[in-house]
Amino acid sequence: MNVLIVEDEKSLALEMDEFLSKEGFIVEHAWKKSSAEEKIFVNNYDFVLLDLGLPDGDGFEVLKQLKSLKNRDDAIIILTARGAIDDRIKGLDEGADDYLPKPFSLNELLARMHAIIRRKHKLEKNEVNVHDFLLNIQNRTVTFGEERLNLTKKEFEIFNYLVLNKNRVVSRMSLTEHVWGDILEVNSDSNFVDVHVKNLRKKLMAVSPTNWFETVRSIGYRINC
Amino acid sequence: MKLQVKFSVYNAITKIIIILVLGAIILFSLDKIAYNQLDNRLLKKKNKIIENLNTDEIDSLLNEQQSFTDYNILKEEFIILTRIPDHQRDSAAKIFTEKREIEGDIEVYRILNYKFLYRANWYNLEIGETMTALESIKNSIRFYMLIVLVVALLITLLTDYVFSNFLLKPFYLIIDKKINRVDDPSHYNYENIPTNTDDFKILDNSVNSLMRKINTLFALEKQFIANVSHELLTPISILSTRFENMLNTLGIPAEHEHKIYSSLKTLNRLKVIINSLLLISKVENNQYLKTERISLKQELNDIYEDLEDRIADKNINFSTHLKEDFNFMGNKALTHTLLFNIINNAIKYNVEAGSLSINDKFDHQKYILTISDTGSGMNKELVENAFDRFKRGNTEENGFGLGLAIVQSIAKFHKIEVDIQSEEGKGTNISLIF
Repeated sequence: MNVLIVEDEKSLALEMDEFLSKEGFIVEHAWKKSSAEEKIFVNNYDFVLLDLGLPDGDGFEVLKQLKSLKNRDDAIIILTARGAIDDRIKGLDEGADDYLPKPFSLNELLARMHAIIRRKHKLEKNEVNVHDFLLNIQNRTVTFGEERLNLTKKEFEIFNYLVLNKNRVVSRMSLTEHVWGDILEVNSDSNFVDVHVKNLRKKLMAVSPTNWFETVRSIGYRINC
Repeated sequence: MKLQVKFSVYNAITKIIIILVLGAIILFSLDKIAYNQLDNRLLKKKNKIIENLNTDEIDSLLNEQQSFTDYNILKEEFIILTRIPDHQRDSAAKIFTEKREIEGDIEVYRILNYKFLYRANWYNLEIGETMTALESIKNSIRFYMLIVLVVALLITLLTDYVFSNFLLKPFYLIIDKKINRVDDPSHYNYENIPTNTDDFKILDNSVNSLMRKINTLFALEKQFIANVSHELLTPISILSTRFENMLNTLGIPAEHEHKIYSSLKTLNRLKVIINSLLLISKVENNQYLKTERISLKQELNDIYEDLEDRIADKNINFSTHLKEDFNFMGNKALTHTLLFNIINNAIKYNVEAGSLSINDKFDHQKYILTISDTGSGMNKELVENAFDRFKRGNTEENGFGLGLAIVQSIAKFHKIEVDIQSEEGKGTNISLIF
C-alpha cells in the first residue's frame, strides 16, 4: 500500500515515515502544496495524509483537486493542528475520509487507516483469531468456541485496539485516546484505563489462560500472537 | 419605572398643578370682582337714595313712621331706613356681609350701612343685596372646574402614554433587536432601525459601531487561538511521534524505555493542558454551535457506559432516578464533556463502596439535575475556588485542575447554572439548573 504524506514539518513527516514503513507501507513525501498537486496528478495512492497548513497554500485546495480527478479512490486523512469545528466539517464535507487533530498517536493513525481499508475493501476478514478467541469486528463480539463473552462496549474496544496493534506495546495514553477519544480530564488519570483492562483480562481468563496478554511494566499493554 | 410612565406622570402632575392654580386664581378673582361689583351697586344705590330723600314719598314716610323698610318679593334686596338717636358721627359707608332674617327666611346679605343727618335728624340707612346668586355661581364654577380637571387629566394621561409609546418605539426596537442580541455577534443585523428622531439615529449608529468593534475583537481572538493551536501543538506532535517510534524499537534497555515513556507522558500532559485551555477559549469565543437537541437521559446512559468498569471496580452504587426525559438545544460534544467531567470527579473522589446518585426535579419552572456522591467532599474554601483553573482539591489524585473550569465555561455557554454543595468527609452535590 502506498501513502503520500503531505506535511511541511520535516521532522514530523520523517517520524510518520519511519512508523508506516515498519508497518509495510510505501511512503512518499510532498513538502509543499504545489508538489503535492503534481504527485497526485501523476500517481494513485492508497492513502493521502494531508496537513492543512502548507507554506504555499491551503491544504483544502489539494483536497479539492484530488476530488475533482476522475476514477480515483485515494483515501484522504486530514491531519492538522488547527482543529476548529469548521475545519473538520469542511474537510469531511469536501470529501476527506477522516480527520485527526494533531498531536495524534501513531497507533491511532494506524487504527484509522485500517478502518478505512476495511470499509473500502469490505474486508472478508471480519473475524480475527487471537489464541482461539474470535473477535467479530462487525458484531463487536468476542467468542471462545461456542461461548460468547459478556464484554462491555469499552472492553471490546480495548481488546480490538490491542489486537490491531498486536506484538507492539500500546501505551496507556494511546489506548485511552483511542477508546474514549478526546476527553481531556481522562488523560490525566494514569490508572483510568487499567481498571477496564483488568476487568477485560478477568473475563478472558475465566475462559482460557491469557499469558499472551502482557502488561509492559509501567508503560502499557501488549498482545502477543 | 419606565420612561413612558415617568413622562406621563410628570405631565399629569404639572397639568393638575396648572389647572388647580388657574382654578384658584379664577375663583379668587371671581370673588374679588363680584364683591367689587356688588359693593359699587350698593354705593350707587345709597347715593341715589340720598339724592332722592327730598322726594315727597320718602319724605312723608319718614315724617310719619320714622322708619322705612322695603324689600322685593324674592327678598333679594332690601332697604331699611331708621331714625337713630342724635349725636352720631358722620361716617363713611360701611359694607359688610351678614346673615339676616326677613320674614322667616334667613339669607346671607351684603349690607351697606350709612349714618347720615337729614333735617336735623340722624338716620341709619341699610341697603342689602343677597349673595346667594354669587354663591351658586361660585359653586357652579368649582364643580365645572373639577370636571374639567378630571377630564383633562384622563385625556392627558392617555394621549401622553400613547404618544410617548409611539416616540419611544425605535428605542425599544434598538434594545430588543440589537442590544439583546450581543451574545451572537456574527449574526448581528446592522440595518438601521427606521426612525426620524435624531437621538435614536445616533444611538443606533453607536451600537452598530460597538458591534463592529466586538466582531473585530472576536475575529482577532479566533485568529490567535488558531495560531496558538498550530504553533504549540505541532512541536508537541513531532516529539510525541518521535518518542512513540523510539518505544517501538526492539531491544532498548528497560530503563531507557521507561524514560522515553515518562517523556511521552509529560508531553501528553502538555498536550492536554493546551487543548483544555483552547477548548475554554473556543467556547468563550463562540466557536461552537448550539443546534442539537440533547436528551439528558441518553447522555447519562452513554457516560455510564464510558465509566462502568470504573464504577464496578470501586464498587460504587450508581443509581439514576430521572422523573423527566428532559431535553434542550445545545452542543452534544460539549454537553458530553460537561457531564463526563462531573461524574468522573464523583467517581474519582468517592470512597470504596460509596454511592453516586443522579436525581432531577422541577423548581419554579426550572429543571434541576443533581449529581450526588459520598466522596471526600470539599470545605468551604475549596468550594469557592472549585472553578478556578489549576486549583486541585486532593492533590494525591491525578488531574490537571481544569475539569471544573471546563464545566463552568460549557455551562455558561449553554446558560446553565452550576451549584456546588459539599461537606468535607461527607460528600458533594453538584446541581445543574436549566
